[in-house]
Amino acid sequence: MKRNLWATFVIGVVAFVLMLPLLGAIYTSLRTDNAIASGPFVWEFDYGFTHYQNAMGAAGYDFASFFRNSILISSGTVILTTLISLPAAYSIVRLGFGGAWLLRIALGLRILPAVFFIIPFYKLFTNLGMVDSIRGLVLANTFVNVTLALLIFSSSIKELPYEIEEAALVDGASVFRILRSIIFPLMGPGVAAVGVLTFIFSWSDYLFAVVLSSSEATPVTVGAANFVTSYGVRWGDISAAVTLSILPPLIFATLAQKYLVKGLSSGAIKG
Amino acid sequence: MIRQGKDKASAFVLAAPLLILLCILVIWPIYLGIRTSLSNDLLSEFEITPAGFSNYRAVISEPNFWNALRFTTIFAIVVTIFEGVLGFLLALVFDRKFPGKRTLFSMVLVPIMIAPSLMAVMYRLILNENIGIIPGFLQNFGWDISIYDQKYIFFTLVILDAIQYTSFAFLLIYAGLQNIPQEIYESAAIDGAKYRQVVLRITLPILKPALAIIAMLRLIDSFRTFDTIYILTGGGPGTTTQTIGIYIYKTAFITGDFGMASAASVILVILLAPFMPKIIKQFRLDVK
Repeated sequence: MKRNLWATFVIGVVAFVLMLPLLGAIYTSLRTDNAIASGPFVWEFDYGFTHYQNAMGAAGYDFASFFRNSILISSGTVILTTLISLPAAYSIVRLGFGGAWLLRIALGLRILPAVFFIIPFYKLFTNLGMVDSIRGLVLANTFVNVTLALLIFSSSIKELPYEIEEAALVDGASVFRILRSIIFPLMGPGVAAVGVLTFIFSWSDYLFAVVLSSSEATPVTVGAANFVTSYGVRWGDISAAVTLSILPPLIFATLAQKYLVKGLSSGAIKG
Repeated sequence: MIRQGKDKASAFVLAAPLLILLCILVIWPIYLGIRTSLSNDLLSEFEITPAGFSNYRAVISEPNFWNALRFTTIFAIVVTIFEGVLGFLLALVFDRKFPGKRTLFSMVLVPIMIAPSLMAVMYRLILNENIGIIPGFLQNFGWDISIYDQKYIFFTLVILDAIQYTSFAFLLIYAGLQNIPQEIYESAAIDGAKYRQVVLRITLPILKPALAIIAMLRLIDSFRTFDTIYILTGGGPGTTTQTIGIYIYKTAFITGDFGMASAASVILVILLAPFMPKIIKQFRLDVK
């Protein structure tokens, strides 16, 4: 068999370029302020991880609370999105509710530019008293992710054999019982796919966060972007903060890579 | 398998949370958006008064709106083609055995997991004129160019967008490649087909429907580019890199004119509307 080392080399170069921004941030976060100021290739490392300590609160930034907000928003969105989309997908696929048009409407949402919604959401959330709150951002992100979740759930429910449910029905189980005791446990891979993608996408949200949060509910994306403008040129601290912000979805998604790949391709292609 | 009839009530109960969400977060906002577009609604003034179609007239006669629309369209088309081609080539290289394949696959997927806004902050770091590794590297070759220069900015933004999104295109195309039965390639090999012929005559035609969907998804997503360009350039220099998203955001929250920004959003949706049924049809959604 050919070893195809050239492919390793080509992909290696591509992977390096794709990871260059992250590598650059990690590199800068580990260098001393002095080295950073003297030029990009002055090798002088900071073994006390000062920038990480600064980012996590030593220098008085609010980064720890941005971080907590992002975790709350993303996990809340994962839970709410699943609770809303899974029963709805079951209802559409197995009980014929709404049929394909409901999926089409959901897909239409995916196509509408999100920017259309920023002003109405701002007004609506102001009226509901949900501006600058975790609840508000969980709702906004659920709105963003519900389409992909519906597509993934309905395609995985379609793949389940119907016989099990039929047997349960004959035994007199209710639809809710079937959903809870049969469908949900069998949907592990689908739930994992929706979970990992929804987590990444809600962690990545910037547009809704910048409009709907001002201080209390600010997530890392907005926090880090504000860092660049408001704290001037403290690049070491910024790099540490950004590196820390990237880690949770990166670790989660790498562990759940199989589901990420399956979810993206089934949500996008098969529908 | 769909069962119908006696489960109507439970079907409705199960779908109810979704329907409520759609009412609160879609139908009501659409109404609010249209109403705002027909009002004099300024951040600086408490009173909101009816405005008729004056906001629409203002948007249509504003060159910045059309410039933003033009920039967004050109940018979306260029990056979709560029990332589609790169993703396809990458998928072709990946579609064989080679050492380190699994690790490299994980590494190539990394940009998918990084928030575009955080990516933009890192771009600002590595592109910074004084401390960035890219200008530092280029200076070694005597290239003292400013990457933010008006001459290069479009090119820079396309490359940066490709760093973020080529992985998406690659992943979806690669998933499509996996679905092509191996036998087709084997019989082509027996017939003595060259690799280039196999790609052009077999792989591409089979992938065509998948490629169409991927291109549409990328086109839709790049049409709403906001985070990266906003953090990198703020739409500048001047308004040269202002996307339609940045235009609407700035009109609403910086200029403070909600009415005009809403009118621009409505016009944008009307301009996109003719394409939507076509795109939705491509997905061939069935419930069976």
